[in-house]
Amino acid sequence: MKVMKRDGCLVDFEISRIVKAVDKAFIAVEGASYKEASLQIGEAVARATAGMEQVSVEEIQDIVVEHLRSTGYAEAAAAYQHYREARDLERMRRGELYKISRDVIGVTNLELLRENANLNGESFSGKMSRIGSEYAKWMASKFILPTELTRAVRDGYVYVHDLDQYALGTTNCIFIPFGRLLAKGFNTGNGSVRPPQSIMTAMALVAIIFQSQQNSQFGGVSGSKIDWDLAPYVGKSFRRHFRKGLAYFGEAGLGEDQPYERALEDHEIYIDNEQLKDIYPRVYHYAYQETVNEAKQAAESLIHNLNTMSSRAGGQIPFTSLNYGMCTSTEGRLVSHALLDATMKGLGGGETPIFPQHIFQCKQGVNQAEGEPNYDLFLKAVECSSRRLYPNFVNVDASFNLVYYNPGDPDTIIATMGCRTRTISDRFGRNRLSGKGNLSFNTINLVRLGIEHGIVQGKREVPDLNRFYQQLDHYMRIAVEGLIHRYELQADQPAKASDFMMREGVWEGGEALAPEDKVRELIKHGTLALGFIGLAECLKALTGRHHGEDEDSRGLGIEIIRHMRRFCDAAGERYNLNITLFATPAEGLSGKFTKLDRQTFGVIEGVTDREYYTNSFHIPVYYPMAAYRKIRSEAPFHELCNAGAISYVELDGNARQNTAAFRDIVQFALQQNIGYFSVNHPVDRCPACNYEGIIGSACPGCGALEADGNFQRLRRVTGYLTGNYTERFNSAKQAEVRDRVKHL
Amino acid sequence: MNVCGYIPESINEGPGLRAVLFVSGCRHACAGCFNTDSWDFEAGEPFTEEMSAAILQDIQDNPLLDGVTLCGGDPFFSPEECAAFVRRLRTLCPAKNVWAYTGFTFEALIRQPKLRELALLCDVIVDGKFELERRDVSLPFRGSSNQRFIDVAASMEQGVTVEYILR
Repeated sequence: MKVMKRDGCLVDFEISRIVKAVDKAFIAVEGASYKEASLQIGEAVARATAGMEQVSVEEIQDIVVEHLRSTGYAEAAAAYQHYREARDLERMRRGELYKISRDVIGVTNLELLRENANLNGESFSGKMSRIGSEYAKWMASKFILPTELTRAVRDGYVYVHDLDQYALGTTNCIFIPFGRLLAKGFNTGNGSVRPPQSIMTAMALVAIIFQSQQNSQFGGVSGSKIDWDLAPYVGKSFRRHFRKGLAYFGEAGLGEDQPYERALEDHEIYIDNEQLKDIYPRVYHYAYQETVNEAKQAAESLIHNLNTMSSRAGGQIPFTSLNYGMCTSTEGRLVSHALLDATMKGLGGGETPIFPQHIFQCKQGVNQAEGEPNYDLFLKAVECSSRRLYPNFVNVDASFNLVYYNPGDPDTIIATMGCRTRTISDRFGRNRLSGKGNLSFNTINLVRLGIEHGIVQGKREVPDLNRFYQQLDHYMRIAVEGLIHRYELQADQPAKASDFMMREGVWEGGEALAPEDKVRELIKHGTLALGFIGLAECLKALTGRHHGEDEDSRGLGIEIIRHMRRFCDAAGERYNLNITLFATPAEGLSGKFTKLDRQTFGVIEGVTDREYYTNSFHIPVYYPMAAYRKIRSEAPFHELCNAGAISYVELDGNARQNTAAFRDIVQFALQQNIGYFSVNHPVDRCPACNYEGIIGSACPGCGALEADGNFQRLRRVTGYLTGNYTERFNSAKQAEVRDRVKHL
Repeated sequence: MNVCGYIPESINEGPGLRAVLFVSGCRHACAGCFNTDSWDFEAGEPFTEEMSAAILQDIQDNPLLDGVTLCGGDPFFSPEECAAFVRRLRTLCPAKNVWAYTGFTFEALIRQPKLRELALLCDVIVDGKFELERRDVSLPFRGSSNQRFIDVAASMEQGVTVEYILR
C-alpha cells in the first residue's frame, strides 16, 4: 500500500512512522512513552487500511485520532490533534512565504510592487528587496505586534507604517548635521574622509554622507540649513582661487619674480573684503568668477549624484531633501543660487530632477519683500518651482515655528523632511533640527469611525459624537501603545546596528556610544507620531458634508483634530516621550483602508466611492474651490499637526509663464499661518522635442502624439516627486491624480 | 449678451491671478481658433443681472485676484454690455486691473465710438486675430506672434500705440 503525502508524492506505508508520532503525543500528555499502546494504534491503522491501494496522510491521522479516543486516551488524542494542527500551521506559513515570493517574482501583484513610487518594484533588485520586505512584514504582524494592534490593523482602524522595519528596530528619518560632519571629517566604514577644502569637494561629500546615512534608517534624510553648512567651503574655494590668481597675475606693483609685499593671512581673504577688490582687482575678479563657476558645477554634480545612487536596499534612491534660503552671507547665498540654477537647468537631457526635494525657508525681513537681502532668492525659488514643482515653501514666520527660532542659531530655522515631517520640538531640550528625527508613525483611519458613528448609513439623524470620540480614543490608545512598543524595540538596539548614524554622531551624541551600547538615551529626543487620514470622508460620513462644503463641518473637523492633538500631548506626558500629531503622507496607504471599508460597508457616495481616501485634513482633490478659500480652510490644521503637514493648491496652466500669480499664492499661504506649502501644476515633457509644460493628447511643440510621443508626466506624491506617474504610482494614487481639480 | 464661461481664478489670461469672463459671439472666424464653440452669440447663457452681481461679489471676495480678463468670443462684439460690467467692476474693485482680448486691432477699436468706450475702460488689450502660421506655444498669454499687449492709458496719452511690457 502507498501513502500519498501532502505534496502529492507516494511513499510506502510504514507502521513505525505512525507509532513514533503517537508516542510523541503520549510523551507530551502523560510525560512518558506508552510503547504498547502506540504499537496497538499503529496496527489498528494497518488493519483499517488493509486492502486499500492508496491512503492519504489525512485519512491515517483521522483513524489515529478516532482510535485514541475510543480506547480511552482522549487527552492523547487531543495532543496528537494539536501536534497535527501545529504542523498544518507550519505548512500553511511556508505556503504564505511561498505566496509572497511568487507574487513578487511573477509580478502578479502590481499593487505590492508599486507601494513605493520611487522604487522600481519590477526590477531585479527591486524584487529582491520586496521579498525581504514582505517577509519582514509577515514576521512582524504574525509574531511581534501587540495583539490589540494586530487586530486594529486587520479591522482597518489603524495602519502601521514601514512594518517591514518594525521587528528590526530601525528608526525613520533624520536631519543630518552636515556642518559638523564636514568640519571634522568622517568615516564611511570603509575609509576615512578628510574635511573638504573646496565647495566642489564639500558638495561631493554631501552626497556621500547622504548615501552613508540612508541605510542606517528607513525614511528620509534631510539637510536643514544646507546654505549655512556649505558657506565655509565657498569661502575656502575663493581663498584658493585668490591665491592662485596672486601667484599668476602679479598685481599690486609686484614683479613676477619678487616676493609679495606682505603675505596675506587666510582670514583676510574673503569675498566681502572690499580692500582686496581695490588692491587686487584682477585677482579678485578672477577668484570670484572661478568660485561662482565652481559652486554651480558642484551643485549640478550633487543633483546628478542624488538622482543616480540607487543604493538603498538595492533599487531605491534615498529620499533626500535640502532646506535653504535664510543664510544672507555672500557665500551662503552663492550656495542657494547654485542649487536653484542647477535644478532649473535640469538633468542631462534637461529633465526635471526627482531628488533632492528642495525646501525654501521663508521669513519676513530676510527673503519676503523687495529690499530684503534674500528676496532675489525667493523669486528664483518661485521661478524654479513654477518649472520644476519645487522648492516647496516652509514658513519660518508661522507662529508655531517662530517660537523656536533663535536668530543666532541657524539650527533653529524650521525645516522639513521633504514629505512634511517636522521634528523641531523636544521635551528633553534639543529644540533644534539637526541630529535627530522621527522614529516611527502609526495612522488612524478616521473614515471608518465616521461611517460607524455618523448619519451616512441612515441609522441615526445626528452623528453619535460621544461614541465617535470614545472609539477614536480607543484606537488612538492602541496606536500610541504600538508606537511605544516599537520604541522599546528601537531603544534596545545597540549603537552598531545603525552603524554610520551613531558612529559618526549623525544622531547627536552617537559618537560617544560604544558599539554595544544601547541607543535609548539618544533616540528619546526623536518623535513618535500619530497620524490620520481621510478627515474629509470622515466628516462626510458623520454629517453629510465635508469641511470644504460646510462651515459647521469644518468646525467639527478642527475640533476632531484638536482632540487628537490633546490626546498626543497627554500621551507625551504619560510616557515622557515626544508624541506628536501627524498629517500622514499616505502613499502606500491611500487605497488600503478604502478597500477594507468598502468590503465592510459597501460603496458609499462621497465616502468610499473613490479608490482612495483624501490625504490628512485636505479638502478633497476633486472638490472645486478657489485657491484662497482652500488655503484659508486648511490653515488652522497646520498649527495642530505638530509632527508636520502640507497644503497644496493645484494650478491649471503653464505656471512658468505667470510667476507673479505663483508668488502671490505662496505668500498668501504664508500669511495665513500655513506651515508648509506647495503648488502642484502639470509638468509634462516631450522627449522628441524637449517641450516642457502642459501636454494634452499631442505635443504643442512638435505635434507628436500620445501614442508615439511617450510623454513623461511628472507629478507629486506625498511631498516628493516621482518619475512618470502612470508607471510608478499605485492605482489609488493614479486615481487621485486623475481626480485632482485645479484650483485655478 | 450671453456668456459661455467664467473662471474664478486663472493664470492663463494675463499676469497674476485673474478672473476670466468668456463673452459669447465672435465674427473674426480665425483659422485654428481654440474656442470655436464660442463664436455663436447664443452660446452659453444670458448674462443676467443676477449673474453679473454674483460674479462681481466673487471677485470682490477673492483677495488673491490681480484683475479681471474679458475673453471670448470677442467682448468687442458686445461693447455696451461689457462696458457696463467693467464700469461697475471699476467702482466696486478699484484696485483690480482689467484686460480684454479682441480680434480687432487697437487702432481699429479707437476709431469706433462704442468700441473705443470699452477699450478706454481697460488697462491692457491683447489685440489682433489669431494667425495660424504665426502660432507660437512659447508665447505667454497669446496664441500667435502678431498679437500685441497694448498699454491703453499710455497709448492715449502719447497718441501712438504703446505696447505693454510683460515683467
